[in-house]
Amino acid sequence: MRRIFDAQLVGPLAAMLLVALVVAMTTDRFLDPGNLANLALQVSIVSLIAIGATVVIFAGGIDLSSGSMVALLTMILATVVKTFGYPLWPTLAGVLLIGAALGALNGVLTAFLRIPSFIVTLAGLIAFRGLALMFNNGSPIFSLDPNFEPVFYGRLFGIPLPFFYLVVLYGAATVMMNNTRLGREIYAVGGNPAAAKLSGINVRRVQTYAFTIAGLMTAVGSILMASRLNSGSPNYGQTFELQAIAAAVVGGASLIGGRGNILSTLVGALTIVIVQNGLNLHAVPSAVQNVVLGLIILIAVGVDMWRTEIARSIRRLSGLGKRAAGATQPGPSSSGKTTTGNTTTGKAVAGK
Amino acid sequence: MHVSDQPLWDIDAVSKAYPGVQANDRVSIQLMPGRIHGLLGENGSGKSTLIRLLSGVDRPDSGEIRLKGRAVSMASPTEARALGVATVFQEFSIVPSLTVAENVFLGRWPRRAFGLIDWDTMNSRSRDVLAELDIELDPEAVTSTLSVAQQQLIEIAKAVAAEAQLIILDEPTTALGLDEIAQLHALLRRMRDKGHAILYVSHRLDEVTALVDEVTIMRGGRVVSAAGNTAVQVDAIVSAMIGGDVREHYPKICNVTSEVVLDVSGMSSAKGARDVSFTLHKGEVLGLGGVLGSGRTEIARALFGLDPIVAGTVVVRGRRLQARSPADAIAAGLALVTENRKTDGLFFNFDGRSNISSASLSRFSHFGFLDLKREERESARLAQLLELSRGAEDKSVRHLSGGNQQKVVLARWLLSETRVLILDEPTQGIDIGAKLAVYRLINQLTAQGCAILLISSDHDELLAMSDRIAVIRQGSVTDIRAPNELSHADLVRAATGEDTIQGRKVA
Repeated sequence: MRRIFDAQLVGPLAAMLLVALVVAMTTDRFLDPGNLANLALQVSIVSLIAIGATVVIFAGGIDLSSGSMVALLTMILATVVKTFGYPLWPTLAGVLLIGAALGALNGVLTAFLRIPSFIVTLAGLIAFRGLALMFNNGSPIFSLDPNFEPVFYGRLFGIPLPFFYLVVLYGAATVMMNNTRLGREIYAVGGNPAAAKLSGINVRRVQTYAFTIAGLMTAVGSILMASRLNSGSPNYGQTFELQAIAAAVVGGASLIGGRGNILSTLVGALTIVIVQNGLNLHAVPSAVQNVVLGLIILIAVGVDMWRTEIARSIRRLSGLGKRAAGATQPGPSSSGKTTTGNTTTGKAVAGK
Repeated sequence: MHVSDQPLWDIDAVSKAYPGVQANDRVSIQLMPGRIHGLLGENGSGKSTLIRLLSGVDRPDSGEIRLKGRAVSMASPTEARALGVATVFQEFSIVPSLTVAENVFLGRWPRRAFGLIDWDTMNSRSRDVLAELDIELDPEAVTSTLSVAQQQLIEIAKAVAAEAQLIILDEPTTALGLDEIAQLHALLRRMRDKGHAILYVSHRLDEVTALVDEVTIMRGGRVVSAAGNTAVQVDAIVSAMIGGDVREHYPKICNVTSEVVLDVSGMSSAKGARDVSFTLHKGEVLGLGGVLGSGRTEIARALFGLDPIVAGTVVVRGRRLQARSPADAIAAGLALVTENRKTDGLFFNFDGRSNISSASLSRFSHFGFLDLKREERESARLAQLLELSRGAEDKSVRHLSGGNQQKVVLARWLLSETRVLILDEPTQGIDIGAKLAVYRLINQLTAQGCAILLISSDHDELLAMSDRIAVIRQGSVTDIRAPNELSHADLVRAATGEDTIQGRKVA
């Protein structure tokens, strides 16, 4: 449990709260319960897919195929339920299995056939949407099942169900990354595959599991997507893979692998959606919004890449200040204080 | 032949320190035009540092470097090249996809109008340079089609084309066969006769004595024998390289028992181990001696399941081991601490604790869940045992010193209940205090019944810490002896290519 609240989460969380504060102060509708609930619904599907995207990033890979996989899985779901008339609930279980299998396929191609995951999942990005278009002559399938919509729109104690999906699945992902052997092995493989192999970790199997988890989470997202619109369409899920990666990156996951906190991805997704909401409330045109989003991703990654340099220059600046202060006002009490301050900073930087 | 009394390059009392080690300590050496100067010393004696200073890679902390009597300061390899220094490192700086001529003029291609490359000039000038050196190569041949030896010749042609007056060769013959070495030496002699100064660094004494005009010998960052004081003769060189008897600095405790824990017979691997046979006993340290590239690391890799074994058997504690992955080897009780802890030992994304536990995750997990309390408890115990710096378990290993990083890697294998520990250059690049900690740890481990296979290029260390020593050449065990039947000189000879080992009996 020691890694849930750490430096990796605190930074993005602080950034998100700052953004939320700015939006709340400059608009009057942001804190409206209706607006917040709407935000939660808006962010939920991509956030769930982002769990898988993040796990793959932790393992040192990248998954570009999730958006197209959403299209394919909603079309499979719709065809089975609507065209073949199969019952809904077993079909959902089947969709989860197919998603996991497609993820495992990505994993096997990457880990065992040693094709870079960028290429494997780029092929998936193109091919899965092509497969989705082969169903129903490429047309969407509507009105699947009246019992399906509550999966997304239902409420428990007045709170929309997707909120609970987020809590449960991010909770499970956090436990997996921090408390299970697989989670530790995923970090190890992403951090240093050679050392992982020499430690007796089955690197290929771990990579395959990471992609399988990604496929499973994409299937969860696909089911919610189909439920939300009570339909399946080969056009669903476009750019979801990029939004999921953006959430992970804004949350501070390192694309080199091995570093990051899975909860930060949720924070990253929320940050993005809050910014979008703020811009909407200020009636900023969507073209400008996209530019702003691009800048946010650049800044988030830049801060992550230059974190050590930034910390060093802050230390140097504070050191200069300290020395200047010491020259004018030498006193044991002031130097004692500075030392304590430095120790705390050091810990925060060093801690994972 | 052009000989002058004035040195071309005069290195005067230069010092250079890296974190934790004084790599060069007031080193002086004069390089004369028309002379081949041998630079000798064991690993870590400071030869590489001196080369780095001369070729502008690093700058000295103090001391002066003079070119023809004038003090110069070289801030980069480019500046050194401009002053006429060409260095041929062990790793070639040749682009395989380019032609011979393109490589010879790499980065300085003759141009025509509009920045186009003047191919005709380049090829004809390359032909001239190659002819001058009696090198029979087609300037338009693609380099990747040539042999390693021919590529080496291109490096030298490159130096000549750049009109270098000083040519530094760092271990130029490791990849060459006998004929190719002879060809290289003939070329170097011709260049000497044309007035070039040549600094020749090699481990192979037979070769050095045949080639050089004078030798400088380094030990522990200092010049222990300057040119002129040392006869160019194997025995004199060996005794200067060894220095005093340093065995008493090693806290060796003998814990050998008669119980065999590892029995290797006739093992050959797909990548370099050839018909290897030896036994290892409980509590024993078996040293593997030999030069770099003699196949010691390959033997370790085969045992640990990293390279496929194609023949022979490996028996660990009475059970046949057919390791197809490190996981199999670890399950049988083997552990490997590799030479490069930075590239394949440490997880720089982890704190000390997760680094220590990475090979023991199966023991710490129940139904896939990690017992974090137990992980913390057991890694704390090892941190204490190994005298790890305070707080190292919670710090990213990036922030630890080299010695503490090495302790973290060792702790990993102590935790995994290792029966046979393979240590590949375990004290390379760590300071003397951390070295002593490693030696004490070797004693502790053997006292607990662990058997150790020690690979080390530090001959003092190997002789002092081993119970028996296996001499390795070309992937095979050529001899196994007790350290007191081997002298340092024997090891140096064995390692540097003389065929016979004259064991010295200590009665």
